[in-house]
Amino acid sequence: MATHAFQRLPTAPAGRILALRLVAIVVSLCIIAGVLALSGHSPAMLAELILRSTLGSRFGLEDLALFMCPLLLTGAAVTVCGTIGLWNIGAEGQFYAGAIAATGVALGLHGPVLVMLPLMTIAGILGGMAWITVPTLARAYAGVNEIITTLLLNFIASLLTYYLTTGPWRDRISGAQVSTQRLPVSIPEMWGIVHWGFPVAIVIVVGLALILSRTRWGYEIRIGGANPEAARYAGIPVRLRIISVMLLSGGLAGLAGMFEVAGTVHRLQGGMANNFGYLGIVVAVLARGSCLNVIPAALLMALILDSGIVMQTQQLSASVILAITGLILFMIAIGDELAHYRPVATTQARGKAS
Amino acid sequence: MIMLLTGMLATAVLAGGVLALAALGEVLAERVGVTNLGVEGLMALGAVTAVMTVSSVHSPWVGLLVAVLVGAVGGMVFAFGAVVMRANQVLCGLATTFMGLGLSTALGHSYAGQPVETTFGHVTIPLLSSIPIIGPALFGQNILIIPIYVLLPLAVHFIMFRTRHGLNMRAVGENPAAADAAGIPVMAMRFWYVTLGGAMAGMAGGYLTLTYVPVWSEGMVAGRGWIALALVIFAGYRPIIVTLSALLFGLVTALSFVGQAHNWPIDPAFLNMLPYIGTMAFIIVPVVVWHRMRRVMAAPAALAQPYYRDVR
Repeated sequence: MATHAFQRLPTAPAGRILALRLVAIVVSLCIIAGVLALSGHSPAMLAELILRSTLGSRFGLEDLALFMCPLLLTGAAVTVCGTIGLWNIGAEGQFYAGAIAATGVALGLHGPVLVMLPLMTIAGILGGMAWITVPTLARAYAGVNEIITTLLLNFIASLLTYYLTTGPWRDRISGAQVSTQRLPVSIPEMWGIVHWGFPVAIVIVVGLALILSRTRWGYEIRIGGANPEAARYAGIPVRLRIISVMLLSGGLAGLAGMFEVAGTVHRLQGGMANNFGYLGIVVAVLARGSCLNVIPAALLMALILDSGIVMQTQQLSASVILAITGLILFMIAIGDELAHYRPVATTQARGKAS
Repeated sequence: MIMLLTGMLATAVLAGGVLALAALGEVLAERVGVTNLGVEGLMALGAVTAVMTVSSVHSPWVGLLVAVLVGAVGGMVFAFGAVVMRANQVLCGLATTFMGLGLSTALGHSYAGQPVETTFGHVTIPLLSSIPIIGPALFGQNILIIPIYVLLPLAVHFIMFRTRHGLNMRAVGENPAAADAAGIPVMAMRFWYVTLGGAMAGMAGGYLTLTYVPVWSEGMVAGRGWIALALVIFAGYRPIIVTLSALLFGLVTALSFVGQAHNWPIDPAFLNMLPYIGTMAFIIVPVVVWHRMRRVMAAPAALAQPYYRDVR
């Protein structure tokens, strides 16, 4: 062991993780700036423009909150699944399923807003849950890898949305492409264009954090994730816990879809999930399994998306944002691993003393 | 009827080739213990760089070579994170997919929608191609079909199960600590096989745009990388079975084409769902029906586990 300059610890201290993540983000930004400079843009000018039009303007701040709302919920969906050691890569599909179910209620039923909104919310949650049912059962009873099953359903959900918005539910009034008509009900707005879904999402995330840390159910989930064998030995019904966690995860992503369709977009639209489901994975990774951390993580992700809008006005393709997110995720994954290491000098000293 | 079968099989062989390449590459990576979830992104990069190259060089061979090189470089980037730095493999893979999809769209922006002029044309092998039904599908297609379906899988099978190197390679995926103790260079083995897997994913992307769908558009890889990952699990990490299941899978894709061509009373959107629904059935049904298969087709024991020499 003494031949190595560093020793790997099983857990990494939070402070070192934070420090290395900052380094990771700075390194990513340097790479991005370099690429931008090479392709003939001025990174400094862009950075100033981005800061001015995201954090420095009311319009930018409103957008930030609107981006945060779905990211909080999809991030929480992936985080909750992660506490029992599973990856829900299908938040995108569950998001669509929730949006479809909520739209179905809004277009099919008529009633006062106070009745319709709760019905749509329930439909959205159930839609998301329904979408994760097959992967859940396959995982719980047959041990089928949930990463791939949840992911494949994303493509099916996207095609189903396409079918509905160009077929039975297509907009017959304004003739918009791949879209339903404007929904008759919407979530009321609280600040500019920011709707009440935003504070509700924050309350949900905080509530989840409390449930996971304070209840017996949450404790069993965490044990099940940390050591399934020990959990089974201790009499925890791991299979039932897996089912409940995955359904909860799907429900959260479905709720994100309902909020988006009823609060932000106001119609079911092809492509409306806008990668929120996939970005939820990034948010969950940044949050490192803690629901409370989902809030700052979603804020960071929303900031990146918000900057993306500015970059689009500068003739940069919108997909650059996806590449940038990937780069940051990659660097953070490396940074998190490096945080486990410490210089071995201290152990050597201890070895000599004893 | 014969015409229909011939056409379906030809489409199946063509469509399955993309998956066969990517899935075979992933078999290599997973056999040495690394899950590369970046296949989708590497395929997109390969597809777009092939189109870009061909539009200026006008040679499909150069286009394919560039796609392979780009895939290899992408595989190295992933391997740097997941093998050298030993960061979480799921995260590095997802990050690679994000980077690949984002970069490919940004790079291919000005090429989107333009047809690729120079592709791998049909090569008809005289006698063999006149065999009814399978002849035109196997011997009347582009020149890459035989290497993809016969040469590569057989070569990988031979190396993996009949040579000492293959034994070492599988040992790295099953028990890296023991392999290390036996003097096998675990890290180098992992790094280079992941790189090779990336190169094959890039080649799959190049093959996609140079033979099958000769036009670049955003989202054209459409989950084929993920389907390839699922096929690896379905095939139990075996090179020949994975190639055959890619062909079987090509048939599912061909079915949706036939449906659209013959105006079946099903909406195209539902026919387009077939590959994804088929993949889910592929990986769920066998495990449920044949419980014992789970042990025979099990993943390499050290799959997705980073190897630390001094933490044992």
